[in-house]
Amino acid sequence: MTPRIVGANLLVRLKTLSRQRSAMFFTIAFPVILVLVFGAIFTKTEQMNFDLPVQDLDQSSASARLVEGLRAGGVFNTTAVPPDTDAVAYARDKHLTLLLIIPRAFGEAQSRRLDGRDTGAASVLTYVYDPSSTSVATKIQYLASTVDAVNHRMTGSRPFITLAERSILTKSYRFVEFFVPGIIAMAVMTSSLSGALNANAELRQKGILRKLATTPITRADWLLSNVLYQMILAAASTTCILLVAYAVFDVRPRCNMWLPLHIVLAVFVFVGIGMLLTPIAREAESASAAANALLFPMMFLSGTFFPVEMMPGFLRHVARGLPLFYVNEGLRASMVFGDDATSLRCAAVTGVVAVVVFIAGAVVTRWDREA
Amino acid sequence: MNNSDEHAVVVESLIKDYGSLRAVNDVSFTVARGGVFAFLGPNGAGKTTTVEIIETIRRPTSGRVRVLGMDVSRHKNEILARIGVLPQGFCSFDRITVGESIRYYSRLFRRGAADVDSLLDITELRNTRDVLFKDLSGGLKQRLGIAIALVNDPEVVFLDEPTTGLDPHARRGVWDVLRGLKRRGRTVFLTTHYMEEAELLADTVAIISKGRIVASGSPDELIDRHAPFLCLTLRRVGEGTIAVIRRMGFEPVGDARGGVSLRVKHADNVQEILRAIGTAGKPLPGLEVRRPTLEEVYLELTDGKMPDGVCVPGGAA
Ligand SMILES: Nc1ncnc2c1ncn2[C@@H]1O[C@H](COP(=O)(O)OP(=O)(O)OP(=O)(O)O)[C@@H](O)[C@H]1O
Ligand SMILES: [Mg+2]
Repeated sequence: MTPRIVGANLLVRLKTLSRQRSAMFFTIAFPVILVLVFGAIFTKTEQMNFDLPVQDLDQSSASARLVEGLRAGGVFNTTAVPPDTDAVAYARDKHLTLLLIIPRAFGEAQSRRLDGRDTGAASVLTYVYDPSSTSVATKIQYLASTVDAVNHRMTGSRPFITLAERSILTKSYRFVEFFVPGIIAMAVMTSSLSGALNANAELRQKGILRKLATTPITRADWLLSNVLYQMILAAASTTCILLVAYAVFDVRPRCNMWLPLHIVLAVFVFVGIGMLLTPIAREAESASAAANALLFPMMFLSGTFFPVEMMPGFLRHVARGLPLFYVNEGLRASMVFGDDATSLRCAAVTGVVAVVVFIAGAVVTRWDREA
Repeated sequence: MNNSDEHAVVVESLIKDYGSLRAVNDVSFTVARGGVFAFLGPNGAGKTTTVEIIETIRRPTSGRVRVLGMDVSRHKNEILARIGVLPQGFCSFDRITVGESIRYYSRLFRRGAADVDSLLDITELRNTRDVLFKDLSGGLKQRLGIAIALVNDPEVVFLDEPTTGLDPHARRGVWDVLRGLKRRGRTVFLTTHYMEEAELLADTVAIISKGRIVASGSPDELIDRHAPFLCLTLRRVGEGTIAVIRRMGFEPVGDARGGVSLRVKHADNVQEILRAIGTAGKPLPGLEVRRPTLEEVYLELTDGKMPDGVCVPGGAA
């Protein structure tokens, strides 16, 4: 290994990148766009804010108070539906998924109950809903619990059993906070694996490798300069992802020494895998196809976009066999939970994989023409 | 026996098989130091295979190859440090300039950064120093390849088809560079399809066909040995004149422009023919006498027979 040669290679790679603005942009922009899109989608549902059209057939002060009560939880924004329309037709016409009807004589029944004239007096609120809507079940649940709460407040009786929530996490987290480490891992993987693979395939196809074979450059020099180059890219894209996540979603993960460690190990792993694939994918085109065939399943199975726990049992086992899973877990453990033990365990797994894959990649990389 | 003082390259009984294909079949030759050696042969003859074995980047099936006195299988690194290579179909990094490419390759060698300016001068690339590789014309790309082959100040330079695909001007540009190398006393191992190139530049040529060396020596030697005659061309001759020549035992071949060509052994034969034409009362024709070219020898040797067109202007030339 010769630093002079590694430096020369690195310089050529960086110059090439800097003269390929669009490639540079997409390398950095792709993960950033993912953060923005997914962050925006999940921020919306987290607020849990629904429109609730209400048809008040009673028009009493009691029914007005009930509507007030429905609004109080902050979950529902009520809107008034004219009392003289057919609620079902109205809901169908306006594409409403849920509509609540307060019956006539609601106020009267309530006052009979409250002043003890009729302890059995009750009122039935009907909701009109669209069963084909995917979100309606959640809304109905919220509606039921909101109505419960209003009931208790109104009758003054304290329920015997109530539920209290306590997260296994000491702090409450938002989805983006989990998502950001996953995107960092994905960006490092994509760029390292396909970068190493494409660079090799392209140089081979153009015959540059044949020329390099007649110079004193060694495999170690070549591999190391690839790794260093990918580390620079990884540092740049991680920085961009973190800055955007902070600026847009106010995500503030812990960025300590674990972060560079996990990233460096990931670069070794995925550059190594890229090197391993090079002899298989000889042409530049088949190289990128081979890269995609590996990248996409890995992305989806390793918990980048959704938790591994959501997958069926056998896929969960598959996930545990993928290196990206440990990079994801390691980054989340260190950046989100501050869990040093898990972080260390994941780093150890990635480290072992890195050594094995990298050595194997170095062995299959051939300079001379017999390859 | 140590040939390292006289010979840059010694190849003995070299064989290379690709599976069942014998690409190089028992080839032996030597390349003297300080001259231009041209390795000639048709497509697929085994030139690149042989050269790459000498450059240490392919392994021979059997045989011995020494470069600068060192065995290629045992001294790869020492040999690579002292030779320069222009591979067939040379390519460099697309988005790297001429100057940067030269600097890059020179950093790969231990002797450190080469003098980029003098390499640019030798290859006449000074004006293109800041042009990206992908924007260079074919001739400039080949000249850059030669400049890069020189970054380690090599004792032997291997150039595999440096002028293939270049127009006549670009080709002459490369020839000038090669003459410069020769003047500087480098050993140049030139692989080419172009006979005029070999005839013009080479001190020694070896012709390989179907994996075997079919002839070697200086261009003059090869011509004298394989085409020991002169080509006589007579312009605008009538049937009567042709009959006179036939009667003398020569075999004139007509060409498209109403002339004839024939082979004669000596210059004396030319005089005899002219005298006979004069005696027969025919007008004296315009004439041209020349030696066969290396190309004509090559065609005979690689094809197995002297083609009909030999000595016919515009036929084989
Ligand atoms: N890596 C290889 N595997 C199998 N066969 C090969 C390989 N390289 C070359 N050959 C075959 O060996 C023979 C000699 O090829 P080589 O490249 O040495 O010819 P060449 O004289 O350089 O031809 P050209 O003038 O076209 O460059 C050809 O038949 C070619 O198809
Ligand atoms: Mg060739």
